[in-house]
Amino acid sequence: MAHSGKFYSEMIRSELEEIVGRSFVSVDENDKLVYSTDWSWMPQMWLDRGQRLTTPDYIVHPGSTEEVSEIVKVANNYRIPVVPFGGGSGTQGGALPVYGGILVDTKRLDKIIEIDEKSLTVTAQAGINGTQLEWALNEKGLTFPHYQASTHCATLGGNLAPRGSGTISTKYGKAEDMVLSMEVVLPNGDIIRTPSVPKHAAGPDYFHLFLGAEGTFGIITEATMQVDYLPEVRLLRGLLFDDLSNALEAGRRMMTRRLDPLVIRLYDPKSTASRVKKILGYEFDGAYMVLGFDGDEDLATLQEQKAMDICEELNARDLGREPGEAWWEKRYDFYYPPQNLKLPWMYGTTETVTTYDKIENVYYGVKKAVEEGYADWDVRWIGHFSHWFHWGVTLYSRFIIEEPPEDAEEALQLHNRVWNTAMTAVLENGGMLNDHHGVGLKLARYMSRQYGAAWPFLLTLKKAIDPNGIMNPGKVGFGF
Amino acid sequence: MPIEDVILTTDNCRYCLMCRHVCPVGLITAKETLTPHGWGLTIASVRRGLLEWDPNTVDVLYSCADCGTCRAHCVTDQPLPEAIAAARAEVASSDLAPSAVTEVHAALQEWGNPYEEKAPSPVEGQGDVALFVGDDAQYLWPTALEAALKLLKAVGVEPVLIGVGRNNGYLASSLGYPETAQRLAQATLDDLSASGANRVLVLTPGDFFTFSQLYDERLGVEWPQDVALQEVVTFLAEQLEAGALKLELSKDETPYAYVDPTHSVSVTTRYDAPRKLLAAMLPTPGRELFWRRERAHPCGNTALQYTNHHIATHLNYSRLDDALKAGARMIVIEDPGCLAQLSRHAEMFRVEVRGLYELLADHLK
Repeated sequence: MAHSGKFYSEMIRSELEEIVGRSFVSVDENDKLVYSTDWSWMPQMWLDRGQRLTTPDYIVHPGSTEEVSEIVKVANNYRIPVVPFGGGSGTQGGALPVYGGILVDTKRLDKIIEIDEKSLTVTAQAGINGTQLEWALNEKGLTFPHYQASTHCATLGGNLAPRGSGTISTKYGKAEDMVLSMEVVLPNGDIIRTPSVPKHAAGPDYFHLFLGAEGTFGIITEATMQVDYLPEVRLLRGLLFDDLSNALEAGRRMMTRRLDPLVIRLYDPKSTASRVKKILGYEFDGAYMVLGFDGDEDLATLQEQKAMDICEELNARDLGREPGEAWWEKRYDFYYPPQNLKLPWMYGTTETVTTYDKIENVYYGVKKAVEEGYADWDVRWIGHFSHWFHWGVTLYSRFIIEEPPEDAEEALQLHNRVWNTAMTAVLENGGMLNDHHGVGLKLARYMSRQYGAAWPFLLTLKKAIDPNGIMNPGKVGFGF
Repeated sequence: MPIEDVILTTDNCRYCLMCRHVCPVGLITAKETLTPHGWGLTIASVRRGLLEWDPNTVDVLYSCADCGTCRAHCVTDQPLPEAIAAARAEVASSDLAPSAVTEVHAALQEWGNPYEEKAPSPVEGQGDVALFVGDDAQYLWPTALEAALKLLKAVGVEPVLIGVGRNNGYLASSLGYPETAQRLAQATLDDLSASGANRVLVLTPGDFFTFSQLYDERLGVEWPQDVALQEVVTFLAEQLEAGALKLELSKDETPYAYVDPTHSVSVTTRYDAPRKLLAAMLPTPGRELFWRRERAHPCGNTALQYTNHHIATHLNYSRLDDALKAGARMIVIEDPGCLAQLSRHAEMFRVEVRGLYELLADHLK
C-alpha cells in the first residue's frame, strides 16, 4: 500500500472530498463492509463465516466523468489502487478491493444522454441500471436487447467491462457487439472518446482494449449502444431430446444455416432433472431445449418452422409453446433466493466457450474431471448450453457441493482446487477460460496459460497504459 | 415478524441484488449500503459480529423508506421490510434508536399521532360503512377528508368516522415499536367494533396495505374476516361506472399527471381507478410518471421523514422532477400525507399539487 497512517490518509480523503463533495466520500465501516463483496462466492462465504475481508480505504461517488478523471489523477499521484464498482453483480471478484484503495462507485453516473430513434442508438452514462435503461427505451418502443440475468442490478459499464452476454445474445450479440463507442477515463486521468462507429478502416482497433479489461485499462464512463425495436412477436417453445449430442447438433445446424434464433437454451439431463424441475416445475427425462425466434411475424414463423424441421430430423419431441413461454417468463426467477444457488453450499459457474468440433470434448472432459475428482464431496456438476454462435457455443456449467468445510480457509482451498481442476480440463480440451462473466480475481491465475506466448504482449500493453499499476490491481491476471 | 425469522430473510437478501432497480433510496443516494442488499448485509453482519449497532449503522438501518417496493418486486416475496422493522425493534428495545425516533414514538404513545397533542376523537354513531380517517387526513390535509365525505354523500354513503386523529399503527411499526403499533391497531379495531360497520373505506393505499397486510404480518393483529375493506378511490370509480357518480367536465387543459401514492406497489389492483376518475373530469389525457403503477416510488411521507429528512426530501424532489419530465404542470394525488410533503416543494419545481378528492368534489354535478 502506498500510504499509511491517519495523517496521510486524511490528506488523501480531503483531496477526494474536494473533487466530489464531502457527502460523496465515505470511510464508514458499514460502507466498507458492504463494498468489500460482490456477487462471487468467495467473499460471500468469507463474510458468512464471520471473517473480515479487505475493504476499500475510501468509497467515492463521482457525479461526472471529470470527477472520475480527477480521482484517478489523485490515485496516480499517491500510487493508490482504483477499483471501479458498478452494480457489484460480477461473479468473478472483479470489483473486490483486494488491495484496498479508492473504490469508485459509478452509480451516480446514471443519465441517459440521448436516444437516437433514427440510428437506433442510446447514449448513456455507464452507471445507469440495466432495467431502468430498458424501461426508458420501452417508452419509445425500443429495447436494449441484452437481457442478462443481472439486468436488475448491473450497470451499463458492468455489461461492457467483462464482455457480458444476455439471454438473447444468440441473435442480438454480446454487449461488446452492441457498443458503438465509449468514453473512457484512462489510468493517467485523460478522458478519451473512441470513434463514433466500431467498424471502419481508419486505423488500429484500440476500442476493444477496454472490453474485457474489467477496469484494468481505465474506467468506462459513457457508452453509445445499439438498440432495436421491440419485436412484433416472440415465438418460444420447448423441446426434449433423448440424446445430448443430437441436441447439440440441432443447435449447430440452426446456427450454421443462419436461421437466426433468438435463443437456444439446451439443458443437459442433470440440469433438466434439477433446475428445470425446481424453477419451472416440469419433470422431463432427457435434454430440455428452449427455442425462440422473434421479430417480424412472418419471418419468425418461417425461421421457427425450418428450425423445427432440423429438430425433428434429430428426434426431438416437440413440447409445445407452454414450456418455452414459461421459461421466458421465469428466466430471471432462477436468481432469486431461495431458488438460486446460495450459501452454505459451495458452487461455481465454470462456463466456457469453444467451437463446435470441441464442445463435446470440453463438456465431457470437465464433467469427468470434476465429478471424479470431487466424488468424496458429493459434488454435482450440471450444465447447459446457453449462448450460440456461428462457430461454436457456450457451455454454462456449474459445480455444487452442498456440504463444504465449515472452516472458511478450508472451504476456500477446496473451492480453488475445484476451479483448478475445471479450468485445467477446459484449457486441455480447447475451451476458453470464460465466455461472458469475465476473469476478475477468480480466473486471474490462469491467464498466462490461456494466452501462452501472447501473454507478455498483454502485460506490455498493461504496463504502457497503466505504468503505476493502479487500475483494479490483482484482476485479469495483471497483478499489482 | 418474530426476530428469529429476521435471520432467514436477511440471509436471503444480503447477497441478492434482484430488486435493486426499484429501490427509491438506492436510486436517490446511489449508495450500495442503502439498498435492499445493503440493509440485508448490514443486519446479517451485525448478527455475525462483523458490525455492531452504533450511530452509523443505526443511521443506515433507519434510512430505508419502508415503502415495500423491494418486496413487491421480489419473485419469491422476501419480506425484507418486515425484517428491517424487526431489526429496528431490536435496536429500539436496546435504547439505541436515534432521538428523532424516540421523540416521535413518545408522541405516538401519548397522543396516537406525531402532530398534535390531542387524543383521537371517539367514534360517534353507528352504521354499515365506516371511513378510517387517520392522523394525516385529520391534521395535515383535512380538505381531503372533507372532499371525500362530500363525494361519498353524493353517492348516498354517509360513513361513521373511525380512527379520527389516530395513526393506523404503520408509523410505530416502521420506527421499531411493534407494541405501540399493536396498541394503535387494536384501538382501530375497537373503533371499528364500536361503529358496528361491516365495511371500511380508506383514503389511501397506505391504509389499505396496513389493514390488509401489515396488521397480520408484522403485528399479529387480525383484520375481522367479516369486514370488507376498500379504498375510497376504487369505490368512487365503481360508482362512476355505475352512473351513480356524475362529474362535470373541466375546461382546465393544464397538463397533469396522477401520482401513485406511497404503498401503491403493494395494492396492485388499484392503479386504473384514479386514472378513470381523472379522465372523466379533465379534458386532456394524463401524463405518466416514469416511476408509476407497479414501480411507483414513495413520496417522503414514510417514517423516513423523521429518520432521514434529507433522503425524504429528495424523494419528494424526485417525484416532482419525474412529473416535470413527463410534461405535467399539475400533479394529482389523494394521499393527505403525500399532499403535505409534495406541496412543500412544489413551487421549486413550478408544479401545482392538487388533491384528487378535492378536484373531484369541485366537479360534482
